[in-house]
Amino acid sequence: MSVVNFIIQNILTQASVTIALIAMLGLILQKKSAGQVISGSLKTMLGFMVLSAGSTIIVGSLTYFGEIFTEGFNMQGIIPSIEAINGQAMNELGLGRDIALTFLAIFVFNIIIARFTRWKYIFLTGQAILWMATMTTVFGYFAGLRGLALILVGGFIGGVFAVAMPAIAQPFVRKITGMDDIALGHFCTVGYVFEAGVAKLFGEKGEKKKSVEDLKLPAQFEFLQDTYLSLMVVMIPLYIVTAAFAGEAFASELSGTTNYLMFAFIQSIQFVVGVYVLLSGVRLLLGEIVPAFRGIAMRLVPNAKPALDCPVLFPYSPNAVIVGFITTTIGSVVAMLVLPAFGLAMILPGMLTAFFAGGTAGIFGNLTGGARGAIIGGVVHGFFITLLPALLVTTFNSMGFVNATATDVDTVTSALLYAWIIGPLLKAL
Amino acid sequence: MFGFGKKKAKEPKIESTEFVLLTAERKEELQQTISIKKEEINHSTGEQQAKIYEEIGLAFYELGEEDNAIDSFEKSIQAKKSLGTAYKTLLKLYNKKRAEAAQANDEESLQLYLKKMDQMMQVSKEVTRGVF
Repeated sequence: MSVVNFIIQNILTQASVTIALIAMLGLILQKKSAGQVISGSLKTMLGFMVLSAGSTIIVGSLTYFGEIFTEGFNMQGIIPSIEAINGQAMNELGLGRDIALTFLAIFVFNIIIARFTRWKYIFLTGQAILWMATMTTVFGYFAGLRGLALILVGGFIGGVFAVAMPAIAQPFVRKITGMDDIALGHFCTVGYVFEAGVAKLFGEKGEKKKSVEDLKLPAQFEFLQDTYLSLMVVMIPLYIVTAAFAGEAFASELSGTTNYLMFAFIQSIQFVVGVYVLLSGVRLLLGEIVPAFRGIAMRLVPNAKPALDCPVLFPYSPNAVIVGFITTTIGSVVAMLVLPAFGLAMILPGMLTAFFAGGTAGIFGNLTGGARGAIIGGVVHGFFITLLPALLVTTFNSMGFVNATATDVDTVTSALLYAWIIGPLLKAL
Repeated sequence: MFGFGKKKAKEPKIESTEFVLLTAERKEELQQTISIKKEEINHSTGEQQAKIYEEIGLAFYELGEEDNAIDSFEKSIQAKKSLGTAYKTLLKLYNKKRAEAAQANDEESLQLYLKKMDQMMQVSKEVTRGVF
């Protein structure tokens, strides 16, 4: 009995072990050899530990940033980073095990829904499912759910999103790609459909509709070529300007013997290092689990449409991606400046979200409202995807998250579902 | 919100019109195109090579020789990453192969084509971001 107790209390409480066991299950179900099962499980465990290490680096840098921002601007400055949220939830908040099990539950519910309803979509973007599992777990926990209920409710909601989002996007995707056998699996779909609606309302109509694809645009953004380079382009000036506003006297207290601006510069790079390490961890973590489970899903629902990551649409409308990126960035900056006037936190712009979510949204806007629709819709989209995460800041703060909020709007929508509907319902019962 | 799919079911499927029966003449013409283009490849590089491979791939695709078409499209993207016809047709073919593997319960091919589709997402990201 003492052995069983030891296992339950000391081994299964370790999130890294739970995650490794999930990977092991997937590998065994795939009938892999003993060697492959062991190495795959160990790699998954390593991934979790690397992810945690990345999170610690990010938190260190964000804590510093939070202090200088508050001093410099007298308000809270929030960095939108789903990676930072995931890392803190998994690591600092100790929700790693629940997130891992919810991740597995989302896969299972996705398969069940696709198998037994007419919405036959299998969500293949593993990283996006991890972010969804993070948000349903964090907000489920905040709403008061624990244990199995937390995992099952999160798995069900995540599973519904994994099917509903590709289903909602499909009428547009069909028109964009000219085929019906591939779907869009990216948890920013609420924003895409929102932009399509705005573009339809304010864009060109009928024969006057002029596609952005007919325009000549400069197609290259060199700083976007590398994920980490594009993060640095934003983070370095952000940290240095903030440190300058905080003033030498205050910032020097934090920087010790190092010059306060130099310290801000190093801290901004530290943030990027943290994201780099964390995402390497995520890749290791998902490298074994995702192929195993999506193989199982595709075989159990062989006639399902695979829902792929957003670059699946880029080839069909490359100019709209550029227009979407620029206009979404403009909308995010406007929202950054406007939202604090309404008592919300200042959400700093996230270049990568603006590129991937904004770019894809641009394709939707161009489809329904032509060039004018893509431009107006893009700016409104930028505002929208900044506003939604701003609504979560109070909850994140009260849970002990450091200066970050989520990005992908579908995961934010699921969080708001907990905060506005499930939480109050649980309290009323 | 789930009402979207309903009326769309009536829309004609685009792919169904693609596979028309080839006449013997057209077949011969396509095969001739393939052999001429294969010759041209040896004297070309980079972008031009990618274009020729794309044309060969499209000829194979029309002939219904999917494996050969895949091979040519892959070579086209290898010679120069781009998001043109070669890319779009290749992704479509990968997805078809994936669906066939899923139907046949063939785990190995299923994983192979899922992985190839992942790589296509990467190519799309890179080309759009201007990485060559």
